[in-house]
Amino acid sequence: MSDIPYEHWEPVIGLEIHVQLNTQTKMYTRSPNHFGDEPNVNIDPVDTGQPGTLPVLNAQAVRFAIQLGLAIGAEISPVSTFDRKSYFYPDTPRNYQITQFFQPILRGGRVTCDVGGKTRHFSIDRAHLEDDSGMLKHFTSFAGIDFNRAGVPLIEIVSTPTLHSPSDATAYAKTLRAIMQYLGIANCNMEEGGMRMDANVSVRKRGEKSLRPKIEIKNMNSFYNMELAIESAIRAQIEAYERCPHAPHEELIVQGTYRWNMGNRRLELLRMKENALDYRYFPEPDLPPLYVEQKQIEDLKKTLPELPHQRYRRYVEELNLPAESAGILVLEKFTADFFEEALAVAKNASSLASWITVEFAGRLKERGLTLKSSGLQAKHVGMLVKLIQDKTITGRIAKQVAGNMLEKPESDPVSIVQANPDYQPVQDTSVIEPIVDRILEENPQSIADYKAGRTKALAFLVGQIMKETRGKASPSVVNDLIQKKID
Amino acid sequence: MMEAETAKILGEKFRAGDLSAKEITQAYLGRISKHDGKLNAFLQVFEKRSLKKAEELDRKRKGGRPLGKLAGIPIAIKDNILLKGEITTCGSKFLENYSSLYSATVCELLEKEDAILIGKTNLDEFAMGGSGTHSAYGPTKNPWDLSRTPGGSSSGSAACVAARLTPLSLGSDTGGSIRQPASFTGITGFKPSYGRVSRYGLVAFASSMDQIGPFSQDAEDAALVMEVLSGSCQKDATQIQSPPPNFLEKINEPIAGTKVGIPWDFMKELESSSRSHFEKTLEICKELGVEFIPIDLSVLKYGIALYYILATAEASANLARFDGVRYGKRSSRATTLDEIYDFSRQEGFGSEVKNRILLGTYILSSDHIDTYYVKAQKIRTLIIRKMREAFGQCDLIAMPVTPSVAFPLDQIGEDPLKEYLQDLYTVGVNIAGLPAISVPSGFNHEGLPMGLQIIGPQMHDSDVLRLAHHFQKATDFATKIPDGFGGEL
Repeated sequence: MSDIPYEHWEPVIGLEIHVQLNTQTKMYTRSPNHFGDEPNVNIDPVDTGQPGTLPVLNAQAVRFAIQLGLAIGAEISPVSTFDRKSYFYPDTPRNYQITQFFQPILRGGRVTCDVGGKTRHFSIDRAHLEDDSGMLKHFTSFAGIDFNRAGVPLIEIVSTPTLHSPSDATAYAKTLRAIMQYLGIANCNMEEGGMRMDANVSVRKRGEKSLRPKIEIKNMNSFYNMELAIESAIRAQIEAYERCPHAPHEELIVQGTYRWNMGNRRLELLRMKENALDYRYFPEPDLPPLYVEQKQIEDLKKTLPELPHQRYRRYVEELNLPAESAGILVLEKFTADFFEEALAVAKNASSLASWITVEFAGRLKERGLTLKSSGLQAKHVGMLVKLIQDKTITGRIAKQVAGNMLEKPESDPVSIVQANPDYQPVQDTSVIEPIVDRILEENPQSIADYKAGRTKALAFLVGQIMKETRGKASPSVVNDLIQKKID
Repeated sequence: MMEAETAKILGEKFRAGDLSAKEITQAYLGRISKHDGKLNAFLQVFEKRSLKKAEELDRKRKGGRPLGKLAGIPIAIKDNILLKGEITTCGSKFLENYSSLYSATVCELLEKEDAILIGKTNLDEFAMGGSGTHSAYGPTKNPWDLSRTPGGSSSGSAACVAARLTPLSLGSDTGGSIRQPASFTGITGFKPSYGRVSRYGLVAFASSMDQIGPFSQDAEDAALVMEVLSGSCQKDATQIQSPPPNFLEKINEPIAGTKVGIPWDFMKELESSSRSHFEKTLEICKELGVEFIPIDLSVLKYGIALYYILATAEASANLARFDGVRYGKRSSRATTLDEIYDFSRQEGFGSEVKNRILLGTYILSSDHIDTYYVKAQKIRTLIIRKMREAFGQCDLIAMPVTPSVAFPLDQIGEDPLKEYLQDLYTVGVNIAGLPAISVPSGFNHEGLPMGLQIIGPQMHDSDVLRLAHHFQKATDFATKIPDGFGGEL
């Protein structure tokens, strides 16, 4: 990313994010909204577009949309309407989607991101309700359609084109995901297609006010690929403008819809702008306008949980966590909940945060696991940190224990330490004392410094002793011996 | 003569034990067998199913168990209304072998009230047409004159009641498809207010205008059926959730003093014999104590243009689901996805349906949507307002149903626009979502039936039925049976 000449060129990115809502049943029918079942079990005649069937709005989906609106400070439309979006495709049972084109339920709003130690705001244009399509599955000699997903409620959130880098896009998308997880309205499980991103990307000279032609990249389902795709688009556009600085912009950029080929790491044109489909939007006659009462909004407002930015501020202001750590923790509800559960045991917030976001995070990544999939228990991680704080084990030993915990997630650190003699710090003063004496003898300056008030000198002495004992001496015993001998 | 009995009387005789359900059903099955060859009103006759139901009802009655409101009464269903386990063709080749996965709410309500569903009736394909000639299964004939159309799109449902092959039937009305055939065949056809009856299970043509309604010998029978059809349904978001009135009680309330508006200006092109017939009909109503006042509904002159813009637009999307992918016809010539779409629809749809889909798609296309669709919607609002204003001055409105009587079958197809213009007096009602009825008002010099249309404010269905009922008590047009179809039972 660093080779993009940001000082001369400003990328302009807008994201359209489709999120599957976590409702019990589908958007327009009462079939179960559930992932992973055998094909075509969660369907009814309406879901498969049988003749004579009609949609009925899911009230829970509406409530979820209102909750999102409250969380992002959007205007919740007192009246919103539904529209038919027509296009023929086998995964679309009616060959039209029922969406909200003309009057969406939410307008405006903003997302507050605390990423990389900075707090930034990204604004939202609108958000609306619609339904998901089925899934095509390709076999050797035929294609099958699974309608389990057809009709699953989606909320589509459209940002304003005010993201200016691939990392902005990720920060925005991750924060939106966190907000929805905190609200409990969506799981945003990317592997299950619970959250998909489309990006509109253009570039302009820094300082330029108007927008240049853009391309659309559709259906990205991982943040990593999204950043690669957007970056690729930015680079290609800058290259084109730099190559032909006087050519009209529309001639240089092939406007249209693209997809990101993960294998080749290339953008591939799906359809040119001139051949864009005409969706023939018109008001859905089978659904009356949706009226949202002020009272419903007020009742839902009372049930809003703590949101990511509020949690971030609590971590920074009350727990004194460093901004960057706090930002990482709050981005995943599971992680933040895990942290707080562990904190009840660990008591040292900064140390615990560091263990979770750096130590364990690194090991998890190596093993291709997430905190959730690892099976690690929060109270165990908390206990590990407490053991270090209590000086029962050293930091160095703790790192090994951490590895053991990942291998056997059911085991707790206390048992691990007890079971392994190498982990037991040496308590025997008769073994440690000679070493203490020797180090003190070899470092008279440090003793003097310490007596002069430099506490760092003590840590240095302790460190030297620990080095001599290969980290096995009990830190508390060492501390006591030194204090006794010096004072 | 059983065929002269109204549904209400048949029901009473069944309950009293004078007639068994089996006798009634066998009698009507016999009539269908004898006469439908001439008419082609039925696409399917449910001989086994209806006799089984009849036997159940006889056992129920003998056992003293409670009986539904339509117990013992056969009813035919227009073949664009789904009945679980039975084929629903919509008069189209596309759905020739389509077995319904569920029953329309109206069918469930009818069966719950012990009606005997006796068969499915012929229609213009996907309810698009006013003559019955657009059915893929051959046209239905008018029992009053077999060389003429019974009207459409509910051609079979109208013809079978007119010929008394069944005392009752269900039709659907989007631009006049119940009222016009009722008028052409001398029976009573009622289109409820939009939102009165659930559309779940009615194959959609124009979603904002479609309604299911009864064909019957008289308004009293229509009221009986309406008591059953108006049941609440949770699967239709456009149904107005309002407990239905007791229709049978309401229609007997007094009519004197009712103000009825007549839009003379809108009717000025009515041909003179039709006009004088209409005026004579009004005289009869006057004797009932009805007061007539002139009202201005000249805005209805935009009705046909509006209807063909909005209805075809909605239909183009409603019929998109017929794509050969999940059910219905899939062309055997197709080798790619696009061919499945193109060839299946090419082979499965008739030309009238194709015309309307093309027209509707054009109207919704981004280059034209403002000129046609958006403009039409604005005028629709105007019409709704004008109707409301008119009802500020009167309780009901009366008009002819059609500009002419049933036309010869061999004249159809010469000028498609001519067929569309038949809807002149009926479409305004669907545009505004109002209840309206066609009652037999007499015969022309050729002996062909004519109808009177009564229209009410939205959700004033019982008021419309009330005037119709009083009119029928004072006349005998509703009792007439066409030659060749009477005097047997």
